[in-house]
Amino acid sequence: MSRHLGWIVSLIVLGVLLLLVMVQVDRQWQRLTGMEDLMREQSQDLRTLRTSLQRLERELAAGDFALGRGERPSADFPAAFERAREATEAPDYAQGDWLVRAFATGLATLTPFVSSDAYAAEVQSYVMESLLQRNPDTLEWEGLLARSWAFSDDGMVLTFRLRPGLRFSDGEALTAHDVAFTFRFVMDERIAAPRSRAYLEKLESVEALDDLTVVFTFAEPYFNALQLAGGLEVLPEHFYSRYLDDPETFNQSRGILLGSGPYRLANPLTWTPDSGRVELERNPRYWGPVDPPFERLVWRVIQNDSARLTTFRNGEIDVYGARPREYARLRDDEALRERAEAHEYMSPTAGYAYVAWNQERDGQPTRFADRRVRLAMSYLTDVARVIDEVMLGYAEPAVSPFSPRSEQHDPQHTPIPYDVERAQALLAEAGYRERNRDGVLVNEAGEPFSFDLVFFQENEDTQRMVLFLRDIYARAGIELRPRPTEWSVMLDLLNRKDFDAITLAWTSGVETDIFQMFHSSQAVAGGDNFINFRHPELDRAIEAARGEVDEEARMALWREAERILYEEQPYTFLMRRQTLAFIDRRIQNLEQTQLGLNLGAIPIEIYVPAERQRYGR
Amino acid sequence: MLTYILRRLLLMVPTLLGITVVVFVVMAAAPGGISALSLVEGQNLEPQTKKALEDYYNRLYGLDQPAPVQYARWLNSISPVGFAQDDTGALTGWPMLKAPDLGISFRYGRPVMDLIAERLPITLLLNVLSIPLIYVIAIAVGVRAATQRGQAFDTQASVVLLGLWSVPTMLAGVLMIGFLASDQFWQWFPTGGLSRRAALDMPFLPQAEVWWALLALLVLVFLFAAAFMVFAARVGRHPRMLAGLLLGAAGGYAMIQDLDALNSLSSLVGGGVFGALLGAFLARSEWLALRLFVFGSAGILSGVAAAGWLMPAPMIPGFLLDRIWHLVLPVICLSYGGLAFLAKLSRSAVLENLTSDYARTARAKGVNERDVLWRHVFRNSLLPLITVSATLLPSLLAGSVIVEAIFSIEGMGRLAVEAVQTRDRELVLSITLISGLLTLVGYLLADLAYAIVDPRVSYD
Repeated sequence: MSRHLGWIVSLIVLGVLLLLVMVQVDRQWQRLTGMEDLMREQSQDLRTLRTSLQRLERELAAGDFALGRGERPSADFPAAFERAREATEAPDYAQGDWLVRAFATGLATLTPFVSSDAYAAEVQSYVMESLLQRNPDTLEWEGLLARSWAFSDDGMVLTFRLRPGLRFSDGEALTAHDVAFTFRFVMDERIAAPRSRAYLEKLESVEALDDLTVVFTFAEPYFNALQLAGGLEVLPEHFYSRYLDDPETFNQSRGILLGSGPYRLANPLTWTPDSGRVELERNPRYWGPVDPPFERLVWRVIQNDSARLTTFRNGEIDVYGARPREYARLRDDEALRERAEAHEYMSPTAGYAYVAWNQERDGQPTRFADRRVRLAMSYLTDVARVIDEVMLGYAEPAVSPFSPRSEQHDPQHTPIPYDVERAQALLAEAGYRERNRDGVLVNEAGEPFSFDLVFFQENEDTQRMVLFLRDIYARAGIELRPRPTEWSVMLDLLNRKDFDAITLAWTSGVETDIFQMFHSSQAVAGGDNFINFRHPELDRAIEAARGEVDEEARMALWREAERILYEEQPYTFLMRRQTLAFIDRRIQNLEQTQLGLNLGAIPIEIYVPAERQRYGR
Repeated sequence: MLTYILRRLLLMVPTLLGITVVVFVVMAAAPGGISALSLVEGQNLEPQTKKALEDYYNRLYGLDQPAPVQYARWLNSISPVGFAQDDTGALTGWPMLKAPDLGISFRYGRPVMDLIAERLPITLLLNVLSIPLIYVIAIAVGVRAATQRGQAFDTQASVVLLGLWSVPTMLAGVLMIGFLASDQFWQWFPTGGLSRRAALDMPFLPQAEVWWALLALLVLVFLFAAAFMVFAARVGRHPRMLAGLLLGAAGGYAMIQDLDALNSLSSLVGGGVFGALLGAFLARSEWLALRLFVFGSAGILSGVAAAGWLMPAPMIPGFLLDRIWHLVLPVICLSYGGLAFLAKLSRSAVLENLTSDYARTARAKGVNERDVLWRHVFRNSLLPLITVSATLLPSLLAGSVIVEAIFSIEGMGRLAVEAVQTRDRELVLSITLISGLLTLVGYLLADLAYAIVDPRVSYD
């Protein structure tokens, strides 16, 4: 045995080497195939170019042209690209480099309309495009794929005129038929897109009149019609139509993603989540007048918090989002400050945190059904101190569901101050007072004022806030019993409306709709009005606002709704959190817009000057 | 023997049924339960929409049926013998034999088999590397500690092993990343993942610009390693200690110098002294294997350093080396705990047998100590190790939740945890079913291995 050991070992080594060389050759082969695909793509592009050149020549020879005829793309520079164009005029502007970011959890799928998480949406926003988008400065709608749009007089029909010369990243033209197809595709019952389908239900039909004109017909007047129609991301019909015959493949896919956006997947079919990264390359056939600066966009999946921070410190990722405590600590970190800039900003879509008071439980009104009690709770909730001590100042008090920077908000309504005396007066009026000098408030029947507060257990900041609230309520003689809860259990409680009070947060948009949370029709089982709040006057205001297409009039109605919410305090509105992030210093032209930081703005406005570029070819 | 195996195999069926029933009941009875509602994750939706979504999921997964019916449906679909079902769950026939189907994951919307097939290779890779490592080192240390019972090596080894065993993996992983992967300290290893982005564009094997560079590297590494190892094996204690002292001092100095933050004279000297002491201590050891290992690795490092100094241009490491580089920290993290445990186990097993009558008889017969140890005692000491190895098979599949999470590796461990967190019933049931099956198979194999190792054990 030991005599042959040398031979055996050398044979094994030889075998392993052979295997490795085989893998090497296989990789070379795969790479060659990739190159071949690339060349085929390029020759196809060349062919299209030649054909159009020939046509141009023929037209020139025939003299069959006139100045000012037809639709000239160069004549009207799309306003959506204005900011991106301004960036290219900066003296140190350069194309190239990669933008590397990190996701904290793995993605399930990248396929549009099937995916439901925010991470997938972030990736898709670079690959797919919609008809309209909001201007980051004015928040007005601007045409992206659409050149112009018009409502019919009754506001029920919306007609878009597309830009000529739009292309998907595989070179096929994007036409109005693709828009109509997208609607047809999502509305198909066999496609696993129930969420988007429910959202698009307000549309009766989407039809293409010709290659450049598409008509959206609504089933009822809807205030957010422009967002609904203009925000629809357009799918290429020639690529996705095959999945109507084979919906299973689409529904179970990991990443079937192709669009007209500035970036694309290298292969629109083969992305898998187990690679731990998402990588987009620049779309070489992008139709837009401004080419995006970055060569590649990369997202790495790094679940562990400290590993993510170390990776950011090493300079391997460019953006690191932090929680308040961590942010305050890292701001003073010399090494980190050297290579990263701290950004704190208020996103207009930042949701608001609140404590919701359940007004009806098991068919009986609770103590929170009394407006005075709710108002007293709001007076007792020292939001300023919560922001100061729990959020370290990185938040602003919320007055209502509406962002203080939007027209929906009435500046007359200021945050409710911390005022124990007024709260006690209100509570005394409602029958709660201290009766036997033990510091505990009791009602006439002698029952103490105590309630459970349900909250999501995983979030440290929420935990800290609940403990803080327990202390200040206790000082006023009210007992708060914290109930940390798992997410699925919490959903169950909300669905059965089986709780005293709950603290949560709603996300909001540029224009926030409050129908779901506060309209009395939504107090049914499964509705988001899980506190059984019923107020006919508010119902009327919400209904009027949602049916009003005129913006001026609608804003007045929203402000009326806000007044009622402010007086009634169905929720105690807590705060809106700032987004806190560290961003690598080599990234230039970062600025705050009305839509928050322009880091994720599309068309891309940020860039890396040539001498600071880190990744290259 | 055959009847025994058959009996055991048949007994597995009720055991597995029991496992799935328990898992199913626990999942269904947990607060919140499994319902279409938890799939809707329903915030920001109107009730009609939410209802529609719930109906959709109920239709898809049959979640509105009573729990026993749901369980029966699931059992029918995984069993190779059973009824055929159409999409709505209605029974369409009795074809007896059919393809077992593990179902579709709620969260991913994809067949469970696909998900497992995607994740399994990564977990297998980690385990195939760490398990032999654990066994080889643990047996070597354990046997050595047993034969040197009560002497310096035994006490030192038991202190170190106890220390290793008590460090939680979570802490070790975070510390390793913090010290060995951060540019604040030594940025020697990557922070996570399985390969760098740049490595995807590299050739598989290392490549250099000039043809002889790779050859020179191999030859240099081989020469240095061989020279160091021969030195370690042949030379007496005092010159060895001197060499260890020098090597350690150089290593310690270099490490501190690599550190920007601590680059002062006192810390440089401190690093050098600490390295020198450690090097001398290791070189002093009477244990040949340890010396060979220490001097061999020092030789390889010096070989690489010499090649790097001689090489005209930097070489491309290639995909393979990059992958190995990424696997170093996770494999260490995955190994050290089990290693400490197994080493302790093998020490006590060998110790027990060393003092037994048959070992004394063998010695009395004049069998030399080496043969007594490896031919007689070691074979009998394998029994507890085999018992432990019964759990190897399921752990190959299960992966390590903690290590995978810390080092951002998308393996089975993460899949399982996500499945439990998101109440992905199909996925949880499939994973428990498979790991239950593998555990039972592992025990069966262990029982069979007893019979092979120990002739007294027989199943006839």
